[in-house]
Amino acid sequence: MSAARPRRAVIAGVATSDYPLLPHLSEHAVHGQAADRALADAGLTFADVDGLATTGFFPMYATGVAEYLGLHPLYLDETNIGGASFEVLVEHAAHAVEAGAAEVVLVTYGSVQLSQMGRRLGTGGGGGAGFAPGPAIYDALWGNTLVGCYALAARRHMHQFATTAEQLAAVAVTMRQHAATNPQAQEREPLTVADVVSSRLVADPLHKLDCCVISDGGAACVVTTAERAADLAKPPVYVLGAAHATTHHLNVSASADLTVSPAAQCGPVAFARAGITPADVDVAQLYDSFTITVVLTVEDLGFCAKGEGGAFVEDGGLGLGGRLPTNTDGGGLSACHPGMRGMFLIVEAVRQLRGEGGATQVPDARIAVAHGTGGMLSTGATVVLGREIP
Amino acid sequence: MTVRWFPDEMPMPAANAETAGWWEAAAEHRLVVQRCDDCGRTRHPPGPVCPACRSLAAGWAELPGTGSVFTFTVVRQAFLPALAGQLPYVVVAVDLDEAGGARIVSNLVDVDASDVEIAMRVQVVWEDMGPQLAVPRFVPAAP
Repeated sequence: MSAARPRRAVIAGVATSDYPLLPHLSEHAVHGQAADRALADAGLTFADVDGLATTGFFPMYATGVAEYLGLHPLYLDETNIGGASFEVLVEHAAHAVEAGAAEVVLVTYGSVQLSQMGRRLGTGGGGGAGFAPGPAIYDALWGNTLVGCYALAARRHMHQFATTAEQLAAVAVTMRQHAATNPQAQEREPLTVADVVSSRLVADPLHKLDCCVISDGGAACVVTTAERAADLAKPPVYVLGAAHATTHHLNVSASADLTVSPAAQCGPVAFARAGITPADVDVAQLYDSFTITVVLTVEDLGFCAKGEGGAFVEDGGLGLGGRLPTNTDGGGLSACHPGMRGMFLIVEAVRQLRGEGGATQVPDARIAVAHGTGGMLSTGATVVLGREIP
Repeated sequence: MTVRWFPDEMPMPAANAETAGWWEAAAEHRLVVQRCDDCGRTRHPPGPVCPACRSLAAGWAELPGTGSVFTFTVVRQAFLPALAGQLPYVVVAVDLDEAGGARIVSNLVDVDASDVEIAMRVQVVWEDMGPQLAVPRFVPAAP
């Protein structure tokens, strides 16, 4: 996003689909529900859409969604960098509308992962099966799992910075407090630090309740220009700045330092492009695949120093009135984690900036950050959103 | 007769042009690391291009097979059905000696999981999984 931006990208509409359990819907039907609601939220229709951004787990994914939704967009993006994809798709969509390559870009996600997998906790996946292709075998052959990769990072963080299991657990406890006020949330029963650290270990030092849920669900947003949004249904939310980064592919052995996530690279760039500092952020939506993911992210985005994430998140640091109110919908740890959660981060950030946050509304929230994390701490993407241009 | 730690049903590595040399050395129970012929930078897993100087020329440097635990986890819920009977098992990331900073993910075997610590010294052991396939795992180094 250049310094001179005569056309300013905004998010004009957001929505989530029904969630967290949708056995009666297909993946594409979830897209359809979320997209329809996001366009209605903006006061637009499918006829207004000239750009589509979406991604899933198969090539040519966006063309499939376009066909199912009856769209023939001139702008199409299906960039996939794992869980951080939807922050990137919003960044790209903002570039597209600011460059005049599109007027109205629909960004949409849908998944029925829970119904397909028949299990509720994201604790085991990612080890590969059968003949592991390419370099992935260099982790898979030793039975490492997706949660195992994050556990390796958590263990190292504990070793270097004396981070405790109780501090990690505090992340899950706060997310559950937020989820308790979200009627759609998958898990809403109150949770204590003791509950988390006494839940069974999945991959030391991560317990079952350090891991996100697995859900069905989808979400969508509509990216357009401030000019186009001026007479639409909802107040626009500006895409102030964005950036993304990668440190390695899928082998954690290729990560230089597992305690530093790609957020350390892209966070400061996104903030600089937005013209803000971390101190300006009123509310955050941070990818919470595992509790350690959030601790690394608050450090790497600069909300606290490296190594101080444990202290930052404990004692309600991520709660309402805390140091950085985070994941006000209950996050992936408690509300909904349908494979890739990035779109939900954008939706909740926009709702907060509009004052639609309900019981977890952060008073007078003006600037929000959404940060996605993908792969095995492999990718990160930051989007800074604001009610006005600072 | 070789010791077996993991079952036959484990996924087998699909070697390609970049990784075949590593697996061939492993079959001979030699732990090697890929090293750039032009700038000397080491890398693991093996890859097609030097990430430092982008040279395509690379060879294999033999390592002593010792190292230190950089980090570890004890896997208590397996993803691969083949490993359901192996739980719990220890996954380690090992900083390999004389490897120029290269690190390998593997298992620490013949150890009580509660005795594993970051920085503990380890040494390679080999598991023959087939006539042409051996896999390096690690055990605590002899004191």
